[in-house]
Amino acid sequence: MRRVTSTYLVSAVAIAAAVAAPLCMPVNIATEIAIYGIFALATYLLVGVAGLYSFGQAAFFGVGGYVAGYVFIHTNLPLAVGLLLAAAGSALIALIVGAMSIKRTGIYFMMLTFAFNQMIYYLAYSWRDVTGGEDGLGGIRRPDLALPGIGTVDLSQHMHFYVLTAVLFVAAFAALYQLMHSPLGLILNAARQNPRRTASLGYSVYRAQLLAFVVAGAASGVAGALFAMLYRIMPIDAISWTNSGTAVFMVIIGGMSSVFGPVIGAAVFIWLQGFFSLIWARWPLLFGVFIILVVLFLKGGVMELFERTRRLISGRTRAQPGPGREASTQAGTQTVTQTSLGTETGTPTAAGKEGGAR
Amino acid sequence: MVSLLAAQLLNGLAIGMIYALTAFGLSIIKGLLNVPNFAHGAFYALGAYVCFAALQLGLPFALALLAAFLVPALAGAVVERLGVARLMRGPYLYQLLFLFGVALIMEQLILIIWGTSGLSATAPEWLQGAFDLGFTYLPKYLVFNGAMAAVTIAVVWLLIERTRLGSQIRAGIDKREMAQCLGINVAGLVTTGFALGAGLAGLSGGLVLPLLGANSTMGAEMLSIAFVVLVIGGLGSLYGALAAGVLVGLIQSVSAVFAPAASTVLIYVAMVATLMIRPQGLFGER
Repeated sequence: MRRVTSTYLVSAVAIAAAVAAPLCMPVNIATEIAIYGIFALATYLLVGVAGLYSFGQAAFFGVGGYVAGYVFIHTNLPLAVGLLLAAAGSALIALIVGAMSIKRTGIYFMMLTFAFNQMIYYLAYSWRDVTGGEDGLGGIRRPDLALPGIGTVDLSQHMHFYVLTAVLFVAAFAALYQLMHSPLGLILNAARQNPRRTASLGYSVYRAQLLAFVVAGAASGVAGALFAMLYRIMPIDAISWTNSGTAVFMVIIGGMSSVFGPVIGAAVFIWLQGFFSLIWARWPLLFGVFIILVVLFLKGGVMELFERTRRLISGRTRAQPGPGREASTQAGTQTVTQTSLGTETGTPTAAGKEGGAR
Repeated sequence: MVSLLAAQLLNGLAIGMIYALTAFGLSIIKGLLNVPNFAHGAFYALGAYVCFAALQLGLPFALALLAAFLVPALAGAVVERLGVARLMRGPYLYQLLFLFGVALIMEQLILIIWGTSGLSATAPEWLQGAFDLGFTYLPKYLVFNGAMAAVTIAVVWLLIERTRLGSQIRAGIDKREMAQCLGINVAGLVTTGFALGAGLAGLSGGLVLPLLGANSTMGAEMLSIAFVVLVIGGLGSLYGALAAGVLVGLIQSVSAVFAPAASTVLIYVAMVATLMIRPQGLFGER
């Protein structure tokens, strides 16, 4: 059995990246990458680890943003309370949505998460008094952060805000990595590969998946809250289904083979968005072309690119078919054989039968 | 009040038929490929804009509707051939993202070609005016709209249930490998089915053009409505799509009278209620 790399070691890499980021790019870009990194990590927990293809993650991102925005506009509550409320609000919504969706598998699950995303979008759209509707929720303040022993930190300075975001990002990263190798993570992994077998071993697949859904919702909520504070406005676009698609795309472009994948995906997405929107107002078109190219020609994402380069350098020519998963995410569940991604719950026939199709 | 309500009910019925038609196309694609078509809203919008362009060229309304069916159908065939078919073997997440990318591209292309402001067109003269029913007026175009949708659904239903091509398509849905072994060109059928589904979405777009006009958000709106219709009706059930489509149309138009602010959210409430009472949808199999 392959040893699991220590959480400290993996987190050290994340810390190094978080320290290096503001040195090589504008600090607000680095902040945005860290925020979307948290969002992508949460989505990775569902899509990559649990095999729950949720297309509605923007709902939780948005709820977190609106809750934090509302709190920081209308009350004088401290920062930590606002963030906690955002996480709790998103977790609650995720609990409701998850409880109604997770029992339906495959495509049905995906369509439900999407529909709930739209429902929450239209709620935000028409509830103008609270959310600002189409114009977005503006004038969100960044409260000072009171640290015992250090004093208060003024978060209106971009660098200070980046440090806060980066700390939360590293914490989310370490927590996700720890969770992946916890008993819960192993159950999720096993359930992704063979839900019936996992259930017959005595594990409650539904409870494990619901828990993952709630955790991912809470983390997305924190990301949304930070996003609302970054630009001091919560735009309605952040809760739309396009943002849900973006979350899934970040996971794919980075590569599902490693926990670093979604982070790289977030960085690539933020950079591309900045770059494309500079050249053309109709930048989503270029983004669409990019998505299609990646899906058709680089299924394993950036991690596959690394893998290919590494193999090229080490001179091994042994070809590996398909997007090979790194063993690091697999450790402990090797008893359940996995030939390719196609054997997951998402195989057309299996999903079709379970999804209630005829 | 009665006359207003009656008018809204008729309106809802006509719009509901359009929802049913669009959801029906989505249902065909979902059945054939087992992938939710995220570009369905974009095909619907494309149909509306193509219809608008055809009318501007001076073509008669019937030809404009034909174009609204054919152009999205052709686009659908290309999308299926070049992308979806190639991704058949992997997990459907990749097909989904591919269609997401296609939706983004099509939405932006429509904006580039036709601009960001909404467009509107009037129905041809023989469809203008209204019947006087005594208690309310029934616009002729609403009748045409509902009838066209009903006839199209009936024709496609006959095509799928009663013809050789249809039985081959159903065989392809049920047991792809087996159908292939029997010498059926499943890949070709899937392309045909995808084109048909996209075409139906486009035709819906063309039909609503004189009613609602064309604008940049119509695709995303219809995409979520079509999903809700499928969930309420039950995946894979034609009757379900029909009944749920009409139901959603009625809910929307009636709530527009009593609670205009909540009318967009109410259809999702209906979806949640359906899920709680009948998780498999109104007509879905468990």
